[in-house]
Amino acid sequence: MIKEEIKKALQNANLSEALTRFSEAYAVSRRKAYEGLDFEEIRDKIASVKAYVAEHLDDVVQTFIKSAKANGAKVFYTKNPDEVRKYIIDLAKKNNVKSIVKSKSMATEEIHLNKYLKEEGIEVNETDLGEWIIQLAGQRPSHMVLPAIHLTRYDVSDVFTKKVEPIEPDIAQMVKFARKHLRRKFLAADMGITGANIAIAETGTLVLFTNEGNARLTMALPKIHVAVVGVEKLVAKFEDIFPIIRALPRSATAQLITSYISFVNKPYIHIDGSQKEFHIILLDNNRSSIARDPVFKQTIQCIRCASCLNVCPVFRLIGGHVFGKVYTGGIGTILTAWTEGLKASKDIQGLCIQCGNCVKVCPGKIDIPELILEIRKRLAKEEGLNFKTKAIYSVVNNRKLFHSLLRTASKLQKPFEKSGFIRHLPFFLSELTEKRSLPAIAEIPFRDRFNKIEQPKSDKKAIFFAGCLIDFAYPEIGEALIKLLNRAGIEVIFPEEQTCCGAPARYSGVMEVAANNSKQNIEALLSKEADYIISACPTCTVALKKQFIKDLKEQNYSIEIIKKAEKLSEKVKDTSELINRLIKEGKIKFKTAPELSYTYHDPCHLIRTLGIYKEPRESLTTSGMKLIEMFESDTCCGMGGSYSLKFPEISGTILKRKLENIKKTETNLVCTDCPGCVMQIRGGVDKERLSIQVKHSLEVLADRLKED
Amino acid sequence: MFELFKEKAEKINAEVYHFNSKAEALDFIKDFIIKNSSNKKSKEVVWCDSNFLEGVDRDSLLKELPQVEFNIDLNSASSAKIGINQVDYGIAETGSLVEISDRISKRLCSTLPEIHIAILPVSKIETNMETVMKKINIKNIPYITIISGPSRTADIERVLTIGVHGPERVIIVCVDNF
Repeated sequence: MIKEEIKKALQNANLSEALTRFSEAYAVSRRKAYEGLDFEEIRDKIASVKAYVAEHLDDVVQTFIKSAKANGAKVFYTKNPDEVRKYIIDLAKKNNVKSIVKSKSMATEEIHLNKYLKEEGIEVNETDLGEWIIQLAGQRPSHMVLPAIHLTRYDVSDVFTKKVEPIEPDIAQMVKFARKHLRRKFLAADMGITGANIAIAETGTLVLFTNEGNARLTMALPKIHVAVVGVEKLVAKFEDIFPIIRALPRSATAQLITSYISFVNKPYIHIDGSQKEFHIILLDNNRSSIARDPVFKQTIQCIRCASCLNVCPVFRLIGGHVFGKVYTGGIGTILTAWTEGLKASKDIQGLCIQCGNCVKVCPGKIDIPELILEIRKRLAKEEGLNFKTKAIYSVVNNRKLFHSLLRTASKLQKPFEKSGFIRHLPFFLSELTEKRSLPAIAEIPFRDRFNKIEQPKSDKKAIFFAGCLIDFAYPEIGEALIKLLNRAGIEVIFPEEQTCCGAPARYSGVMEVAANNSKQNIEALLSKEADYIISACPTCTVALKKQFIKDLKEQNYSIEIIKKAEKLSEKVKDTSELINRLIKEGKIKFKTAPELSYTYHDPCHLIRTLGIYKEPRESLTTSGMKLIEMFESDTCCGMGGSYSLKFPEISGTILKRKLENIKKTETNLVCTDCPGCVMQIRGGVDKERLSIQVKHSLEVLADRLKED
Repeated sequence: MFELFKEKAEKINAEVYHFNSKAEALDFIKDFIIKNSSNKKSKEVVWCDSNFLEGVDRDSLLKELPQVEFNIDLNSASSAKIGINQVDYGIAETGSLVEISDRISKRLCSTLPEIHIAILPVSKIETNMETVMKKINIKNIPYITIISGPSRTADIERVLTIGVHGPERVIIVCVDNF
């Protein structure tokens, strides 16, 4: 089902072009909007004021109710969406409401309010231009802030022409058209429904951000104003709003400020001289359960800016109709799991490639990929794994079996292999090689080559964790590393008992297997004494440094093994960092070689989880290479471990964009520090028959070593 | 401070004018009304009462400009092309206006018409939102709007279009000495 939707979305050029153009422009304009401000400081503040609310949700709700009532508002708090709908319908009936105008509110989308109002024979008009278009088209928003981003001006003119009256596909004219038609609706409406962006408990105030001015009319013109507000919009103190006011427009649309920020405090005398009615409905709908969950409580820190969608390499290809439900994208996946139930998020949670791009822009400091991983874990626990997945992981769990299978595969692949690549696979595997070639499994894995390498003995030792890709696909990367470290007087040790770092199981939520891998590796890597424990694959580095401890704790392993994991973690270094240090210390020197230009691709785990991006560039430059930066060098290449096997179409399309950006640099060498990225990009280069080399930085550096 | 306010307001498509006295500002507004209204018969301008109008002879103003309406209701505000009110603060950091409304008539002048003329005493321009909010006792006020330029949308193909449901022009008349 989701596979078909993905294919359809990827073929919809309007959608992915519009979203991609937007996300490219957004990255630049967002940065500009934050110029002169300390984003980290702002988001620290937001995260802390919202975390306070999550921690004290009941108190803050009660304070808000008290303050708002004192202001003269009628306040209704409920956990149940049914009751919200009933409250509004009853209120409408009591006041003989025939027509309602609405300004954008995600909370009312969440409870599908319009549908119920319509069933009662009440006319409802969305007034935000994008929402109105979507309503007329009978669709749902594809983006939380830009609901109609998937439609072109021609689509919009079609919708208007069919549903309202004929209009040319001219944007300025269509905007005027909306003003004219909706103005009548505003003037005739008996009730206005809005959401709110912030609700201040201390003062009972609602704060609304809009650009079009529709919320102002929705609140001012009808005699009854109903605001439906999710409790996550609460802040405790008035001063808590300022960091949100700074961040929301900047993060949402890269504006310094929206055209209107309205503070609604108390009902006043209506225009006809009567008393205005002001109702605030506080909706919980499982938010208090989120706030109580030790892992998910940070979700309450979301200010609904949708910046996580705007920077997501997957979202920009397939949009919110595929990647999301009412709430879209990464954060939408999490909100779906809680508002519609864990099962509802089953298909969409898999779409997160775990690149971490959203983490660095989230003004609420929410670790979205981590929370999606948690959904995966809970789903795996709740639903169990299917037979195929289980079979695969039971193999990974048995190192000897796993490794002997890889050796067998190395022989079986012969018919498909050509100069180190597998370009076509038959049958159901064919889509795996549609957009990139796969690397052939090395004839002799690193573990067998290692013993044949003669190393000078030294007191300084480094234990090398190779990881599956270097061990079985790219042993030459491991050899390059040994060459470099030997030159710096470091002897490399390779404990044979090491196995898969557990990432495939871990990122699929199969934690028993991941923890078992962790344990095996901890024992293998601590079996020998050394100064460093190193990895040339950032995903493995992250596993060794951070994940092993987490896995073991989660799976209730003994304190002894957890202590070992911590000891291991302290010694672990990514090779990009260690080699850079050795170069700086003058222990690794380079020959005078011709200056080659290269471009650098930042692996997701290296730049975002480990924070390493300067070091590899500096090392390569020191070796006499000239860097030509590519556009979006830190955007995922589409590999994502097993993601490229689960969603080859998405992975392939992300890769295609990466290749475009590489081609634009006009260099013929791409360096990176992750064998997974090497595999993905090299596979794409081979498939497109480009004369571009893709290398792990270690290979390039080893080639340029000064002769002895 | 005024210079920064003007720069920031113009960046978000507001039009900013500066006058040394109320009299000069009034002349400008009158002139603007004449240039931007089609005839003298229909009430194309709603003007909300404020201390700017203190000392202005309204009868002679109405004689001179019969298109002006001081009585604001839904009918007059929704059929007017120009709405005039006095706003309470300016925010230099963003070029924004702060409109505190205890009466709905003041709000209607800045929501319904196509052109909003906002009269702003220069002395009321503050550095940022925090400094403004410190001066306001929010508890006593029904409704505040921070207005930053004209109404806008980018909902169709992300093309920025000025003027959707709110005004498409915001004219800020900054006045010294009143």
